[in-house]
Amino acid sequence: MYLTVNEKKVFASTGGKPFEKNQPVVLFLHGSGLDHTFWGLHSRFFAFRKYSVLCLDFPGHTHSDGPPLESIEEMATWVNDVIIEIQASAVSVVGHSQGCLVSMEYVSKFPELVKSVSFIASGYETPVNSFLLDAAENKPRNAIDKMMSWCFDKAGHMHQGTIPGNSMIAGGYKIMQGNVPNELFADLNACNNYKDGKKAASNIKAPCQLIIGGKDKMAPRKSTMALAETLPSSTNIEIIQESGHMVPLETPNQCRDLLKTFIFTNNPTS
Amino acid sequence: MSDFFSFDTLSLHAGQTLDPEFGSRAQPIHQTTSYVFSDTDTASSLFNMERGGHVYNRISNPTVGVLEQRVAALEGGSAAVCVASGMSAVFCAITALVSQGDHIVASANMYGGNISLLKNTLPRFGITTTFVDPTDLNAIEAAIQDNTKIIFGELIGNPGLSVMDIESVAQISKKHHVPLMIDGTFNTPYLCRCFDYGANIIVHSLTKWMGGHGTSIGGVVVDGGNFDWGATNKYTTLTEAYAPFSGINFWEEFGPSAFATRIRAEAMRDIGPSMSPMNAFLLLQGIETLSLRMDRHLSNTKEILQYLDSHEQVSWVNHPDMPDHNSHNIAKKYMPKGAGSIITFGVKGGRDAGQAFIENVKLASHLANVGDAKTLIIHPATTTHSRIDAKALVAAGITEDMIRISVGIENVTDITQDFNNGFRAAKKFI
Repeated sequence: MYLTVNEKKVFASTGGKPFEKNQPVVLFLHGSGLDHTFWGLHSRFFAFRKYSVLCLDFPGHTHSDGPPLESIEEMATWVNDVIIEIQASAVSVVGHSQGCLVSMEYVSKFPELVKSVSFIASGYETPVNSFLLDAAENKPRNAIDKMMSWCFDKAGHMHQGTIPGNSMIAGGYKIMQGNVPNELFADLNACNNYKDGKKAASNIKAPCQLIIGGKDKMAPRKSTMALAETLPSSTNIEIIQESGHMVPLETPNQCRDLLKTFIFTNNPTS
Repeated sequence: MSDFFSFDTLSLHAGQTLDPEFGSRAQPIHQTTSYVFSDTDTASSLFNMERGGHVYNRISNPTVGVLEQRVAALEGGSAAVCVASGMSAVFCAITALVSQGDHIVASANMYGGNISLLKNTLPRFGITTTFVDPTDLNAIEAAIQDNTKIIFGELIGNPGLSVMDIESVAQISKKHHVPLMIDGTFNTPYLCRCFDYGANIIVHSLTKWMGGHGTSIGGVVVDGGNFDWGATNKYTTLTEAYAPFSGINFWEEFGPSAFATRIRAEAMRDIGPSMSPMNAFLLLQGIETLSLRMDRHLSNTKEILQYLDSHEQVSWVNHPDMPDHNSHNIAKKYMPKGAGSIITFGVKGGRDAGQAFIENVKLASHLANVGDAKTLIIHPATTTHSRIDAKALVAAGITEDMIRISVGIENVTDITQDFNNGFRAAKKFI
């Protein structure tokens, strides 16, 4: 569905069901250069179990009006604007990678409606090396190559995927191709410049879940465990050993089962 | 050093997850009709497309799924759906987009089955086609109407062997926001990856070079994931809620694999042209050696072209690698390794000489197929294209004296010696 936020068109996939503001909301926030389709299987699952689902396209990405936002702080404020626009009352936030940084900043600043937070494949900082930043700005195809190569473990490189016939790495590649050069560079630059993650994460009081890919090269274990230590001590830490960085695509069934248990518990439907 | 596996490596490995229980190195054949659900929630999730996996073999199968992912990997597509034959691939691809009252622009120089589907069968359902010379860009653009939903052609036309300038046609298709669908059977992704030049959908008869051993019929539709179905309100089968699947919106929920997902959700369920797992296994075996076989097909083709071109009983030789072929330069652009292993030629002495030639070769097999590892030979005007009228024959570049060879990978000297026998028999008709 399309929303109007700050006089701009915003796209959100609702998982195949109309958005009902009176139901608990599951808000999915994608990573750098990606879009709502990243959450395909997960969004549909919750939408058909009496949750209202919003898989947003961040500004400038795929179906949402641009330009892309330039900082994680701006993105968090924008997420809050979206939540106000849809009049949600109970929100479970699910972020992947850059979406995690936005989640921690958003939940830290606007905690009132948040019932749970699921972080997937992230630390509290995401430093981006200069080669990748430069490539994203000047040679976006090279940047996508590197990101896709680093994001997926072997199964991705062998074009596997749990949806019959689908190549998850090619799907990711096609989405990113539609979001270059401006959006990908803006995203990576925003990640690189975000330095308040530790402070934001330590402010979070809502129940948290951290899902980690055992073979993640983009968010290495040292980084994700540092986030785990910063989040509330009750945080559920889950490691899916066979996954790389793209956990919701590489191991969708395990990831969804973890999200289901956590969200059903902390943000139940009536 | 590339970040990704090469074509040859993907040909062997793409799509396959090693069997965790027994460690089978070869892809197991999942010869089953259906799959046990672990619980009711998993069952309902699978039916509602919330979870990847298999329900019933008409829709998907693990062995077939490996083949689908392997072909998608080799073509650079986002997803693929394997079906029972190349013709069912064409049918499923078309019907995923086109409805009653819609229109297709298609090459006049295509496989007879494609022509017949578009000319005879689809009009019964209110779907019409304008046939055009695939090398005439102006004609292609002029044929596009408001209700045109697909531009369809073969990179190498069968059997005329004209080569479509797909990059230029893709520019036209993009300008008019109509997807370009290419039948890539004759080129295979080893010779040309048509998505790299702007095609949006690729179909194959896997029966031919991809499988390569003449054992199994199969087809595939590959989704390029590179067409914006939502940019206009034309492609409602993908952009509007699909009631039979709980109002699913394929474009919204599946993005770059929306087209392939529609085929699986609708055509595989309602029409059911499924590929058998045994055929998928055999086709996978063929694809493992695709590049090796294609190299040998091409080197043999090169030598046989020289043999035929210098033969006194040959009136003409047609192959895009011949310098005087009208598609030569375009063929070099898209297929620098070589423009496939189909040769057509005319035998002096006309139809009777051609018949004598075909009946007196022993190594080459007289049959209605192409792309086998073995050399094949046929007279198109009386067989593969016998059901199309004289005007369409001319449009397809077919003449009465035409013999079509699908050059195999035998020792090339054995092939030419076999042809010598055919020419000796044909000589009495000159």
